Amino acid sequence: MKPVRRKAAGSRGRGRAGARKGRRLVQARRKPRAAQRRIRVNRKGKPGKTDSKQSTAWKENMQSSPVADEESYSGPPEGAGSPPVVSVIIPVMNERRTIAAVIKEARKVHPSTEVIVVVNGSTDGSAEAARRAGAVVLEYDHALGHDVGRSIGAMSAGGKVLLFIDGDFVITAGELRPYVRAVLEQKADVALNNYHGPRRRRQVHNVVLAKHALNAMLGLPELGGASLTAVPHAISRRAMTVIGTEALAVPPLAQAKAASAELDIRLVDRVPVGIRNRKRQSRERRSPLERLVTGDHLEAAAWLIGQRGRRGGCTDLLRKRQHCEVR
Amino acid sequence: MKRRHAAGYLGRKKRKAGGRGRARSSRTGRRRAAGTAYVLPEHQSAAAVVSVQNEEQTIGRVLQELRKLPLCDIITVINGTTDGSLAAALDVPGITIVHMPEPLGHDVGRAVGAGMTDADIVLFVDGDLPVPASELMPFLTAVSKGADVALNDIMPYLGRFDRWDDVSVIKAFVNTALGRRSLRANSLTSVPHALSRKALETIGTGRLAVPPAAQAAAILAGLKVTACYSVDVITRNRVRRTNTGRGNDVARLIMGDHMEALSNAMEQEGPRLGLPDLVRRREAAGGDRPWGTG
Repeated sequence: MKPVRRKAAGSRGRGRAGARKGRRLVQARRKPRAAQRRIRVNRKGKPGKTDSKQSTAWKENMQSSPVADEESYSGPPEGAGSPPVVSVIIPVMNERRTIAAVIKEARKVHPSTEVIVVVNGSTDGSAEAARRAGAVVLEYDHALGHDVGRSIGAMSAGGKVLLFIDGDFVITAGELRPYVRAVLEQKADVALNNYHGPRRRRQVHNVVLAKHALNAMLGLPELGGASLTAVPHAISRRAMTVIGTEALAVPPLAQAKAASAELDIRLVDRVPVGIRNRKRQSRERRSPLERLVTGDHLEAAAWLIGQRGRRGGCTDLLRKRQHCEVR
Repeated sequence: MKRRHAAGYLGRKKRKAGGRGRARSSRTGRRRAAGTAYVLPEHQSAAAVVSVQNEEQTIGRVLQELRKLPLCDIITVINGTTDGSLAAALDVPGITIVHMPEPLGHDVGRAVGAGMTDADIVLFVDGDLPVPASELMPFLTAVSKGADVALNDIMPYLGRFDRWDDVSVIKAFVNTALGRRSLRANSLTSVPHALSRKALETIGTGRLAVPPAAQAAAILAGLKVTACYSVDVITRNRVRRTNTGRGNDVARLIMGDHMEALSNAMEQEGPRLGLPDLVRRREAAGGDRPWGTG
């Protein structure tokens, strides 16, 4: 399957010309940012470690960061007295193999970071592994169900920025920082993964369809298939208050609430989680998870209808309904 | 990957053989002889409803094509016209004309026309797009053979999902949410389509003014809804100021229609439309019990 993977990372579903065009677009988008970075680095007189990943790191206190190189980590930085800047929330269910690596990357996103792992229904010692890796662990014996861990983690989070990731695959700190930065520096309220699922085809998965449809209903078609359902994403504390922590358990509902409150929802970098998430992709079309996600989006639509009226706030263009006795 | 493309290509090829424009017999696959094709079983009557606003250029050709079909009535609902549409329609013999000076609004003409016939099969077309009789007949045939709602299959003209417009996305989503993923983005919003008497009575002719709501009602009532034949209304459609570009008025209207369809369905089936959330323990996060589970 090697060629398929390579293709997926670069030019999946495009022809040669399409791939070239896509690359050009990506470059066009990235270039100014890369240039900015370089200028910033030069001004500080720090050349960076020649690595592009290094240049995305936080410049201030990078060396003196309390979480940078410590091997045994005693707890979240609130031991120092002040609340953390970033809270990383990771719901975990039987993910002992990956959790330590996930936490290790998560702790590096910002000098002042707390990692909250919500372990639920785990029997494989995930909690112990998470504690050893330096996370605050909230443990539940029973399974909480999809995304409920996000709500619970958010309730006990103290950071200005809440970053949500999953415990089953590693996203590097360099990939995660843009989300934190979008909320901290650019004042976005919701920073979404610019990932839209596999959609360069005639027929898409129901989940991809539902995400696109909800954004269209919310009047945000420019978001495409980006969704709070997908990780990683970051929200500001203000967004958390407006959305409500309990709604974070139903991500499409949270998205509808954020859009209705006219929060600033932005697409940040693209982390192709579909590829890393392979094992979940193998599920069948009629799997309960797909039905759950479609139902979640309907619940969000129902909430929207409750807010904006039966037509979701859309025009009727002077329909003379008295002529056709529609209610 | 290559294999999937090949399969899709064969699928399209097969549909074409049914006859895009060339009326071929479904039994033999040969072209039908001219003049003998358009028959329905004797006990079934059919009518057509044409909604017209300002379409003097096209209405004549539309009506001439309809006259080739075995229809007992052709009801032309002319509303809010300011050009010569009425005169053009009057020129064609054998047409029932309903004339309303004020514009009725989108799709209301269909509902008005549908209420004026008691035919077994009702075919709906628009006055702005002449479709050859040979491409209309499959819709009558489909209903005659047992379908309740025979939709125009626009999927061959939509292409890749990432190039779909928002309206197509929401159409496909509503169909999927109602458990009819196979209908894809096909909708009563687009013409031509045909309805059976049973469908008209179940849905109610008035609800045809909001086509997605009518479609949702048909699906929920367990009627037989099919996308039976492809007529290219996408590339041939007249370009108007209000129907082009993202977020145009008509797109917002159709979006609203689909939200209305969803809200009607939710009144009947609950907010999650029979897709309950049984796994989440929302009370652990301070939330309410999920809707649609209790």
